[in-house]
Amino acid sequence: MKKTIQVTINGRTYTEDVEPRLLLAHFLRENIGLTGTHVGCVIGECGACSILLNGRLVKSCLLFAPQADGKEILTIEGLAANGALHPIQEAFVQCYGLQCGYCTPGMILAAHYLLMKNPDPTEEDIRKGLEGNLCMCTGYMQIVEAVKEAAKKLK
Amino acid sequence: MADTKYVGKTTRSKEGPRHVTGRGHFIDDIILPGMLHAVVLRSPHAHARLVSVDSKEAEAAPGVLAVITPEEIKRKSNPFKPGRYAAGLKRPIPEYATAMDKVRYVGEPVAAVAARKRGQAEDALELISVEYDPLPAVVDTAEAIRPAAALLFEELESNLAWKGSLHYGDVPTAFKQADKIVKEKLKIHRYSSTPLEPFACIASFDAASKKLTVWVNAQVPEVIYDALREAFGLEDIRVIIPDIGGGFGQKIHLIRKYVVIISLLAMKSGRPVKWIEDRSEHMMAAGHSCAQEFDVEAAVKKDGTVLGLKFKEIDDVGGSVSTLTIHFTNKLNNLSNTYKVKNIFLEGHSVVTNKCPVVPNRGIGKPAMCFIWERMMDRIAEELDLSPIEVRLVNLIQPQEMPFTTPSGNIYDSGDYPGLLKRALEKIDYEKLKEEQRREREHGRLLGIGVVIGVEPGGRNAARDMAIFPEMKETPGSGGVNGATVKLEKNGTVTLFLGSPNCGQSHETTTAQVAADILGIDPEQISTSTPFDSDLAPWGVAAANSGNNFHLYDIGAVHGAASRLKEKMLALAAHVLNARPDELTMSGGVIQAAGSPLKKVTFAELGRIAYGNQALMPKGFEAGLQTTFYYTFPHGEPNLVPGPGGLVRAQFTFSAGAHVAVVEVDRQTGKVHVLRYLVVGDNGTVINPDVVNGQIYGSAAHGISVALGEGFVYNSDGQLLTLTLTDYGKSSTVETPKIEIEHRPSPSPFTTLGQKAAGEGAAIPSPAAIASAVEDALKHLGVRVRELPLSPEAVWKLIQESGRLKDQG
Repeated sequence: MKKTIQVTINGRTYTEDVEPRLLLAHFLRENIGLTGTHVGCVIGECGACSILLNGRLVKSCLLFAPQADGKEILTIEGLAANGALHPIQEAFVQCYGLQCGYCTPGMILAAHYLLMKNPDPTEEDIRKGLEGNLCMCTGYMQIVEAVKEAAKKLK
Repeated sequence: MADTKYVGKTTRSKEGPRHVTGRGHFIDDIILPGMLHAVVLRSPHAHARLVSVDSKEAEAAPGVLAVITPEEIKRKSNPFKPGRYAAGLKRPIPEYATAMDKVRYVGEPVAAVAARKRGQAEDALELISVEYDPLPAVVDTAEAIRPAAALLFEELESNLAWKGSLHYGDVPTAFKQADKIVKEKLKIHRYSSTPLEPFACIASFDAASKKLTVWVNAQVPEVIYDALREAFGLEDIRVIIPDIGGGFGQKIHLIRKYVVIISLLAMKSGRPVKWIEDRSEHMMAAGHSCAQEFDVEAAVKKDGTVLGLKFKEIDDVGGSVSTLTIHFTNKLNNLSNTYKVKNIFLEGHSVVTNKCPVVPNRGIGKPAMCFIWERMMDRIAEELDLSPIEVRLVNLIQPQEMPFTTPSGNIYDSGDYPGLLKRALEKIDYEKLKEEQRREREHGRLLGIGVVIGVEPGGRNAARDMAIFPEMKETPGSGGVNGATVKLEKNGTVTLFLGSPNCGQSHETTTAQVAADILGIDPEQISTSTPFDSDLAPWGVAAANSGNNFHLYDIGAVHGAASRLKEKMLALAAHVLNARPDELTMSGGVIQAAGSPLKKVTFAELGRIAYGNQALMPKGFEAGLQTTFYYTFPHGEPNLVPGPGGLVRAQFTFSAGAHVAVVEVDRQTGKVHVLRYLVVGDNGTVINPDVVNGQIYGSAAHGISVALGEGFVYNSDGQLLTLTLTDYGKSSTVETPKIEIEHRPSPSPFTTLGQKAAGEGAAIPSPAAIASAVEDALKHLGVRVRELPLSPEAVWKLIQESGRLKDQG
């Protein structure tokens, strides 16, 4: 039994029939074709699938697609358009805040949410703000630097 | 290289822009027409006979197009050949992609289903009926080798699947001449590096032309290529490797099983089949590092000089013989660590148990080898009442002794180990810290400082494993080969075709820097052909995101190919400009003749001639501007192939690092807080500082997290209790300490640019550094650190067992 949902993703509204058991992360990747949202654990531990849902940071593997019905979503693809980089994206490139790139979209959206709430974070604030996003490659040093740099750029 | 505008500098990341915009290209992002989705049925038992597998009901389930059972695997594929990871295996034991007559670990693949939707495949999986006859689980190495223990492999007649030894120098005399024998028992646990992207693959078989194409996130194309050829007797195989979401060794070995299973589903269904492993599957069955136990003895003089080292190693290799000896043979890579000890004896015991098979993982046995040396250095200092720094200094290889041949035949290319150690002490202000430690101890704070040193070998020699098994029937090759192609395009830009896949080490950025310097252009004008495609890439045995191969083989190949291209471009330009090649300069995409401003030709003009204007080419000129270079290490001899006495160059370059950990232990909870962590490193010529720093930060953070508790835990039934990243104990941003780095490079005299490895380096000494620091914090309470991990629970127990805590209040 399918359910019809209407979701606004990166400013565009989609109406889709989905199985109730479809995870929001899979909905974004498979139904909408936005593969920047990565799946690393499917149980909310790793943060690779982090997105903004109605302006709040959520792990899209912990929600079913129907729970996004009538809501607004921001994924990594919606952060900047036409090849221009958002200042946070630019800071991650500049500071080498990534290696394999798998955690990167979720990490950047978590950083985006953090900087929206706290435009001038301390190192500790940044580390606490990104606690839900695991990275196995970087040891987090250059990610923290990238977020500091992004905060500067956004001022 | 005389002119290095880009080598040595942080240039803009070439991989970064696609990843920050969500346009990285991972396996799960690929959709092929008609593609099915596969799921794997796994054993719930640690040890059981497989009585029957009935797939009839699953085959009839909605959407299902193919089911594979062990019976069919046996009928349609050949077992894997024991490779070099299984060196020493005395009797061939056929290992297929799925379990056959027995299951030997929880999560071992038993069957697989491909259906039109993943949900349908999952539903059908539950309809496969498997009858198991459970056997006693063997989970402890000491229990496993008792005569009464249940046998994992009846053919071997024992769970002690391999035993062997190597000796270098004159160990008995060293022990006779010693003033003291220092003994210790040490242990390192099972862990992994848990790449964020689990295993993934897509297989597509064209039955008419018998061509099998797989897209897989494997680190070593050769492993997949050989596995498919051996399994199916196919020759036309194409391995495509797009972006890999982290590797660290994890994606080298066991992934081949799944590529075979998924390929068989693709052959059977006639459709492309995708398989994406889930996290718990990865934790239970994708491979672990090996738990290793050591009985160590060091023969020492009163001044701390180590005359000889002996150790007996027991490796818990899990439920497969396919990686029987890798954790032992990898000890040969850093057997001497940074020390000039002449006499070493090592004896290995590989014990099979009902746990996940062991696989390469960020240094394989090397973190344990460094742990042995550095724990012993601290213990020798304690027993001789010397400072641990002094004992290290007395034994370090001196810079003027470089290149230094170790007793096992490694040739250390360059390095100033005393310099690294002294700089680390100076930078951390060791004396002041020791004073602070004394002062704070009076206030009840438990501070500890651990100082260790280690090498990071780079560039693999494929022949190494013959040192323990010279009678190996099929030699695994020797040295290493990898290639690169550089092409000047018609429009004047440059494309690189690398011989290796990339799983996050900035191969595209780094190789572009090297080529940019040679060709006198901006790295922005260079692009790399991705994904890795075995049909296109100039790859060889060293085409591996493994063995720290990149810096040696790939950089060497790109350097060679770009130099060759430059020569060819100059020859063409000289003809076009009516000049001699030696009066031409190449800069900014223009070739210019000296002294005549008008005599110049752009890269784009040259490109148009080379691909389209025969009349302007010199006689005998091979059209096109594309060159390929296959690199082998030019200084591979002596000891390329193990000779008498097992002398072998296990690896070819030797980076090094002195690590200092400053920790505080919470007396009540046993929790260890890392207050400072410093690495003073020698990675030879650093091509891109931010890239190298990233490798050091990441590998140090992993080693620290390993030392402080991340790891796998099994219960006595062989059930894995750590199926999630949380249970496994992976450190987050909050637990991971800040890491400080200082570079003190000693360029290698043997490599193209003086470069050495950087990748797994800091994961090698960091567990030892944490162990040393925690012991330093608790030593006055009577605590000695002999085992990892130092989780809060383990440290708390150490404090309780020391029994002195109460006396001290």
